[in-house]
Amino acid sequence: MKKLYYSFIFLLPLVSMAQNVDRSKAPMPGKAPVIQVGDPVKFTLANGLQVFVVKNTKLPKVSATLALDYDGFKEGDKAGVAEMAGALLKRGTTTKSKAELDEAVEFLGGSLSTSAQSASVASLKTNFPALLNLMAEVVLQPALSNTELEKIRTQTLSGIESNKDDADAIAGNVVKKLVYGANHPYGEMMTTKTVNNVTLSDVKTFLSTYWKPNVAYLVFVGDIEPATAKALAEKSFGAWKKGELAKQDFAKPTKPSQTYVAIVDRPSSVQSVVTIASAVDLYPGSANDIAGSVMNNILGGGFSGRLFANLREKHGFTYGAYSSLKSSRQIGLFQAEAAVRNDKTDSSVQELLREINILRNEQVGQDELNRMKNYLSGGFARSLENPATIANFALNIARNKMPADYYQKYLTNLAAVDATKVKEVAELFMNPNQMHIVIVGNAKQIAKGLDKYGPIKYFDIEGNEVAAQVEAKADASLTPAVLLDKVIAALGGQAALNNVKDIQYKGKAALMGREIEMNQTKVLPGNAIVTMSMGGMVVSKQAVVNGKYSVAQQGMEAPITDDLKESLNETATLYPETIFVKNGYKLKIAGADKIEGADVIDLEVTTPSGKVSHRFYDSKTFLLAKVATTQEVPGRGSVTQQQFFKEYKSVGGVQIANEEVLDLGQFKLNVKYSDIKVNQGLKLEDLK
Amino acid sequence: MRIQFGMAICGMLFLQTATAQQAIQFEKYTLPNGLKVILHEDHSAPVVAVTTLYHVGSKNEDTARTGFAHFFEHLLFEGSENIKRGEFDKYITNAGGALNANTSQDRTFYYELLPSNQVELGLWLESERMMHAKIEQIGVNTQREVVKEEKRQRVDNRPYGSFLSEVLKRAYKVHPYQWTPIGSMDHLNAAKLDEFINFYKTFYVPNNCVLSIAGDFNKAELKAKIEAYFGPIKKGDRPIPRPTIKEPALGGEVRDVIYDNIQLPGVFQAYRAPKQGGDEYYAFNVLSTILSGGESSRMNKALVDIKQQAAAAQSVPFFNEDEGLFIALAIANMGVKIEALEQSMDTVINQLKTALVGEREFQKVKNQITTQLVTGNATMAGIAESLANNEVYFGDANLINTELEKYNKVTRQDVLNVAKKYLNKDNRIVLYYLPKEKPTTK
Repeated sequence: MKKLYYSFIFLLPLVSMAQNVDRSKAPMPGKAPVIQVGDPVKFTLANGLQVFVVKNTKLPKVSATLALDYDGFKEGDKAGVAEMAGALLKRGTTTKSKAELDEAVEFLGGSLSTSAQSASVASLKTNFPALLNLMAEVVLQPALSNTELEKIRTQTLSGIESNKDDADAIAGNVVKKLVYGANHPYGEMMTTKTVNNVTLSDVKTFLSTYWKPNVAYLVFVGDIEPATAKALAEKSFGAWKKGELAKQDFAKPTKPSQTYVAIVDRPSSVQSVVTIASAVDLYPGSANDIAGSVMNNILGGGFSGRLFANLREKHGFTYGAYSSLKSSRQIGLFQAEAAVRNDKTDSSVQELLREINILRNEQVGQDELNRMKNYLSGGFARSLENPATIANFALNIARNKMPADYYQKYLTNLAAVDATKVKEVAELFMNPNQMHIVIVGNAKQIAKGLDKYGPIKYFDIEGNEVAAQVEAKADASLTPAVLLDKVIAALGGQAALNNVKDIQYKGKAALMGREIEMNQTKVLPGNAIVTMSMGGMVVSKQAVVNGKYSVAQQGMEAPITDDLKESLNETATLYPETIFVKNGYKLKIAGADKIEGADVIDLEVTTPSGKVSHRFYDSKTFLLAKVATTQEVPGRGSVTQQQFFKEYKSVGGVQIANEEVLDLGQFKLNVKYSDIKVNQGLKLEDLK
Repeated sequence: MRIQFGMAICGMLFLQTATAQQAIQFEKYTLPNGLKVILHEDHSAPVVAVTTLYHVGSKNEDTARTGFAHFFEHLLFEGSENIKRGEFDKYITNAGGALNANTSQDRTFYYELLPSNQVELGLWLESERMMHAKIEQIGVNTQREVVKEEKRQRVDNRPYGSFLSEVLKRAYKVHPYQWTPIGSMDHLNAAKLDEFINFYKTFYVPNNCVLSIAGDFNKAELKAKIEAYFGPIKKGDRPIPRPTIKEPALGGEVRDVIYDNIQLPGVFQAYRAPKQGGDEYYAFNVLSTILSGGESSRMNKALVDIKQQAAAAQSVPFFNEDEGLFIALAIANMGVKIEALEQSMDTVINQLKTALVGEREFQKVKNQITTQLVTGNATMAGIAESLANNEVYFGDANLINTELEKYNKVTRQDVLNVAKKYLNKDNRIVLYYLPKEKPTTK
């Protein structure tokens, strides 16, 4: 028998040597593989902890994930508490400092991670029992130290800070808030305020309320016998006390009565982030789940979707356009999105809606439907290479009370989706008359024409509705010379300005959780030194003293360009308005605008070397409110840097801004000057 | 902050993998035209990885035509006699598969991940690529723009993205490792169509390739199909140029400052290091794990946690077929002087030269490496690539099963020895990356 077997193999290649292949076209696929979706071994501990074991001996490796199953809860003015608690868990236990814990995990050649709703470990089989003990220690006896919480707070805040300038992050937050509503846990967002509100006791309350064995799953995947897993689970988590979780019901989000356009104004944007979104009645495992995913992939699933073909390939409005359709136990979400050039914002909304309508009104062709079904079934098959997929399937079924054979029948049900069904779910899930069209972009440039899709409303970056922008107009009779006279008068008058012989500003700012000291000292006219220090160390220093220019960053001298000289000369005045005419700057009234609700006049200033900036003066007080400069940054296009001036106070007869906000796009620096002194009798020698 | 490396070293960051516990079974044979075939049959999931590894990288390039090897990685998706322009990847997507490719200093690697009933599609596409890819002006022009965009995205626009090319051109004076695989855009602009055709005919031949397939297939049937698709491809008739030039010692520390679009300054130290595969190479990888493997590693603990001087710190063993580099880098936190940061890095590195690593720490690192080697064999794609790499670099595909022994042989003294021999000032390049910042003005 055995011999026959060998000779059979030996003969095969010879037989097939004669096999000719037709190279002119792609080979037909072989018979579809029988896809077996295994079932994990399941059991429940006395405390209610449900345990799944997926045995897979391919590698001598085991992982365990503890997944907490609750629907989220209203964090309110403490939004962020769950996320911070999750991060705090792995920063030490009652018996081990963070460093000791890290070392213990890595000594086992393992990894450990924690989040708001999970903890997981992975290592080789031999070290796994010890590693699981560490995970249990982290979950059941975390140190929860205040020092570590403060480190997490600092990181979280700097993350929020950088997201404030990230158009995609803004869009994500505002869409969630508008679609789900502020009263739904899915619609909440972390802000500086809510993160600062979180105390150690909130973290403890959260963990003791929601981390309970009877709402948790412990999932083992890898080279482990179910009996061994059971013994380990008992030993590590058997003593964990169960507790009742109040069942929470959240009001179902309501759809808007008609489609409207929500604009979040971001004046520095060179692209508009457009999202068309709506809540959908789509739950995991529900009857339309699979047909919905076919429909969504036809519309905007990756490079082969219709949105990509239209907005990128055909029109070149964007680098990518996609849609997504997510099911969730509470409520699902549909989104179609693209980041598009400013001047194509209107056209892009139109094309996104056009594709949605085509899918609702016309049956998809058989070829396109088949391709998409192949794509999905291939992806399904490939996902099974990872043994954790089986565990995830089982978890989804248990958590969402899906039919037990949902994944076994997935491919059959996928194959049964036809063109009629696709059209049916397109009509069901995408109602163009009840959409939120959320656009984060430069309102002044993009708003025109958008009202044909529905009423336009304005929102701030936290999703709160704000008053509509009113187009401001500059007074036609105003010339740059007249404006400058008014500005100088507003500052205290030429005589008062001339009277200031020296001035010293001392201020502080915070950046990424660290304090920066900003100091400026000027001996007028023409001498100044500006330093930025951190922890007593000078990080950046710029000076012009006696006609000698110098600029140093982190102790390294930078080359002095004409550009730099110009800007240092401006720095070495009390207000550069006093030297514009003398130094040959070109000035032009460029228009009007609004800053935080106040009307401002836009003065365009061009230096002799050609550098352009815009200075905005309050049209009532004529004090400088903002300076904006735009420069080309490779790869990011033009980037606008804005500097705001606030809190003017009279010092020695001259109006001085006590607060400056420097907005560099990627981060913001808020400088507060607590100590401003004039005419102390400073000499050039004092400029050090 | 996470530092991203360009395609140049992505092949290097992951160690070739092995497991002692369970041998990876494979069969290896050579077709008459010189094509090496490696097959690993595994029915645990209905998937298959079809891969080809061509033994051509940037080190095989002409000094006046750098970037060719990587350019081909793009050009060879353009189509063939039987595959229309732009259709190559559509076949894969429509079959529910995924594909990609990458190029290093030493080799170019292509792969398709497919549901197992589509394995023949992978054979067809790869054999078309090898047999008669279309090298046409229109494809050259298109891909030249794509590669320029790639360079802008990965090198020019990425903070610190130029560090590898800045290091390499100072580390090598005569060896072709002095340029990165992305190469020179001027060279690509200047190249004529027949130069591309010549490159294809020289390097893209069966006798310069390993076809490595792992996954759910019937080996006997698959072998017949491989014969049918690849058998008719003609063996290359040209000599394959391989550099033999030896790079002399560095002969003294090289220091420089690079201004880049970054917020935080960085220190990049690159020490000249041995070739991959020898005893010293394994000792060096252990040393690298001591420095930056995980949160409890020396660089992370000293620079990031305790002193909080660095936002990120990492060591990167950059080993190749010929003599490589060992790179240590750190990105400064706001307000930290770069000189102070470098001093702390030097302190950490000098400890390796003056004292044996503690026994527990040494065991920890060995445990981490063992886990890493075993986990590397989790996917069919990973197995196929390891088998092919080991075959091409060391003539030993089976290293996938024996590599752990090589690590087990490394002693604490070996680590001390390589540290003393290589981690010296006159053997290194030090680059400071500083922000190219405009001063803020009032």
